[in-house]
Amino acid sequence: MTVVLRATMDQSLVALQRQLRALAPDIALLTDGEPPLERMTADAKPPRLVGAEVIEGGAMRARRVFGDPVVAFAAFLDGTQTSHVVAYVDGVPIVHGTVAAAVRIRRNRRLTTWHRPVVRRRLYGPRRALSAEHERILSGLGIDLVDTAAASGDASSHPFILRDQAVHRIQEDREEAERELAERWCHLEHEPLFIDGGISGSEKVAVAACTVGVVKSHRTLYAEGDALQTIFGLRRAERSSVLRVTSPKRIPVASWYLRLRDAVGHDPMWGLVRVEIANPARIDEHDIGARADLVSRWILAEAAPLAMPDARWDKMVYGIRDCEEFLRAVT
Amino acid sequence: MTTITPLGRVVATERRPNTPHEFHFWTGLDSPVGVGTIVRVEGKYTINGQITRVYGVVVEGFSYSDLQSPLHDVLGHDGSPASASLASTERAEIRLYTAAVLRQLPDEPLQPVPLGDVYLADDSDVAVALRMDGYLAEGSRTGIPIGVYHAGGTDAPIYLDADFLIGPEAAHLNITGVSGLATKTSAIEWILSSIFTHFPEQKGSIAAVCFNVKGPDLCFLDKEGEIDERDRLLYEKCGVPPGPFENVQYFAPYKSDGISLNTLRSNEALLDNVTPLTWGLREVLQYAEVLLNKDDVDAKADALIDFIRERIVDRDFADEHLLPGKRYRVRSFADLEQWFKDLLVNMEQRGSESWRTHHIATIRKVRNRLSNISTRCAGLVTDDGNVGDLPFGSFQDRTVYVIDVASLEEDAQDLVFARVVTKLREHLEKRDLGVKHVIVFVDELNKYAPSDGQDTYVRKMLLDLAERGRYLGLVLFSAQQFRSQVHRRVVGNSGTALYGRMDADELATPGYSVLSPAVKTKLATLEKGQLMVRHPHFTQPIFVRFPRPAIMRGRDGAERYPQTQDASLESAILRVLRPLDPTITLNWVKDITDVYEQEDVIRAKNATLLERPADVKRFFKSQLARIVPPTTVGRPALVTPMRTAPPDDPYGL
Repeated sequence: MTVVLRATMDQSLVALQRQLRALAPDIALLTDGEPPLERMTADAKPPRLVGAEVIEGGAMRARRVFGDPVVAFAAFLDGTQTSHVVAYVDGVPIVHGTVAAAVRIRRNRRLTTWHRPVVRRRLYGPRRALSAEHERILSGLGIDLVDTAAASGDASSHPFILRDQAVHRIQEDREEAERELAERWCHLEHEPLFIDGGISGSEKVAVAACTVGVVKSHRTLYAEGDALQTIFGLRRAERSSVLRVTSPKRIPVASWYLRLRDAVGHDPMWGLVRVEIANPARIDEHDIGARADLVSRWILAEAAPLAMPDARWDKMVYGIRDCEEFLRAVT
Repeated sequence: MTTITPLGRVVATERRPNTPHEFHFWTGLDSPVGVGTIVRVEGKYTINGQITRVYGVVVEGFSYSDLQSPLHDVLGHDGSPASASLASTERAEIRLYTAAVLRQLPDEPLQPVPLGDVYLADDSDVAVALRMDGYLAEGSRTGIPIGVYHAGGTDAPIYLDADFLIGPEAAHLNITGVSGLATKTSAIEWILSSIFTHFPEQKGSIAAVCFNVKGPDLCFLDKEGEIDERDRLLYEKCGVPPGPFENVQYFAPYKSDGISLNTLRSNEALLDNVTPLTWGLREVLQYAEVLLNKDDVDAKADALIDFIRERIVDRDFADEHLLPGKRYRVRSFADLEQWFKDLLVNMEQRGSESWRTHHIATIRKVRNRLSNISTRCAGLVTDDGNVGDLPFGSFQDRTVYVIDVASLEEDAQDLVFARVVTKLREHLEKRDLGVKHVIVFVDELNKYAPSDGQDTYVRKMLLDLAERGRYLGLVLFSAQQFRSQVHRRVVGNSGTALYGRMDADELATPGYSVLSPAVKTKLATLEKGQLMVRHPHFTQPIFVRFPRPAIMRGRDGAERYPQTQDASLESAILRVLRPLDPTITLNWVKDITDVYEQEDVIRAKNATLLERPADVKRFFKSQLARIVPPTTVGRPALVTPMRTAPPDDPYGL
């Protein structure tokens, strides 16, 4: 009885497994301490090159960011996700996912949490593949069971495919959590917010003047041919011309590449980030270069302190590492 | 009053777990916590119906950031420390502290410290944490303020339990610290003031006997010194009125000339409470073994000394066989010397090699050693047998008796110490000292009770005092620079131990291994006026601040009251007799003493000081030997002169 009572309050992985063991001894729990699924699941999007319209000065070229770095960001936003298989029920992986997002606001050069962070724990699995009894047991654990089959058109029952579907759904939930916080910031605050990742997923965020998205991963590169060579050839504190990044499911944004650190001796994308800000109206496009320079100076100001020991320290700013550390502590 | 906002949280990990005796907590970067701070942990669960509450004192502190290697910070700032200040964000930094448990409530069952909020201890918390609540209750209050604990906004007086400081439960106090900071002597002066103010009435009377073994530090205890406002607040917090001691009596031997006091407090303006300390043959012979080492006093010599003590000194002695017709009454070293001389001359004349089983060589040896004492202890030991002593039997409550032996030879210091302590002990045993408790303060304990070296009489006596004194009310307050060099049974029996600033080498000795590195470092850097206190009620050492004594510092006193230069015999006599009779003048002294030998005058002076007669002039004159007036020798009758021969009569015809 005590176990059940505790489990209803405690939604951690181990607590759920304890509860499941009590309620359904026949379910095969996964207790060998596997690494998070994020490490085992391939990215849904393959690497690709996409052409984009240059909206600053015609052709793509490298531009020196003049002026000293300027400390302007008031806060940093990032989200995390962690997922593990709780059990295989009738051969179907039931995944426990935790998503979280937080804004860390900077006051007197120290970071503290802005409002309450978002932390959500859920179970993910295809309801249609579960027996009625097992679905009843899983639904009664006191934690939401998200149906991963509903969003996916793939009807395969291969456990790996089911597991990947769960991870992708968790990723969507994480993006939702980040979006939620970013929209709240735009509603309540006006100072610049550094967002880890793109801003085009939310209309409110994508058009806000206070949000800056900084993308570290370059699976999609918005350049081809000579333009790509120009981007790879950027030196420290140089940026590319500003592009307009568009996508059918996303809001168009203005974007450019910025080299935070000298890449000599490293791969071409070392120290390279892609910045997203609100797409300017046609009438304001002549000012986009100046805006890109200013925002670049803001981002260059975040190059210190280093985000070490994170392996992505070449592209990651310390405020984002702080968000991740905070979320690791509270999840 | 309880602090509402927590300043930290208890943390525990598998690698760094909490125990019933130690816990860890983190704080904000701006929290007023440091090594020595007392904190309170509020648990969340009840045990036996009581919410757990734990008190601890911080013994170690750690600070670190999220960096794995300092190299990362160097790289991040391009090797330029100046650019660190330009960074937009400061790295996450943790302040992690380790605290030793002072007390857990409830006391049983003793469990590991729970996770909970940490608060700065306030006054009442400090009292509970240090178990002072047990002896600060109204009606049974036995607290003696030792100083003020300060942390954050808390200024809490720290009390020692008189039952454990003066006895009978435990007793004695030892203080250690480097020289030159005036901490040890100042602390003792402050504690004596505090004891005299707060010693409970029901425990009876108390006095202190202080041996001044060096410098002028204890020479001006009755003179007011300057203190600042901060010290005044500390006095106020501890409930002790700032000021010098009201009742102080000084005792000092003479210099070898027998007329000038051998003390830095020899200025005429201060002599009203200075008494000469002089002992005669009887007083010294009782403690002969203090002055005579084992090589000097073998069994044979000891037997002869015992014979002299029992049969010769202060007794009528005659030996018709060897010393026919002679009767002796030996009262002084001079008398003894005469007795030895007669004895040896007669033995030589008779060709006798022994007298009453004592071999002539032994007699010569004992004569040599005993005669030597009056030379080695000149000024203290008198040839003439006059005695000036502490007022054993009439000690006064709340009075400090200072015995200035700073200028005496080591042997003489040992003699003074041995005799005074023994007399105190004897009188306390008989309950006729005049007070119920006596604190004996001895500085430079590593000299008198060293951990190594031969077993001396003084060390044996200190051991005895440390181990058994508390039952009699005889309490040892001792001080030294190096505690590790003091006999462990002496310091081990000190219920209360105080530590001023310590030498790093001393802290590296095994006796300090129980202290954390942070506490050791704090000890090595303590400010003047700070002490670390260990007391039987405190489960961990506590740091306190004490006020500077409102007593004239030795150096200031020596400048303001310069030592009197060696004066002529007449001036010295005038100086000591005038306080007894102000009508005495230098001319009167000169007229009276002009025709006498110096030793006769000194003997008369000593007798007068000892007697303190109503008519000083008359008594002093009476002590001088009667001088037979010189008579003129008459010219003898002349014999009829011979007739002289004329110059030109060579034959006298």
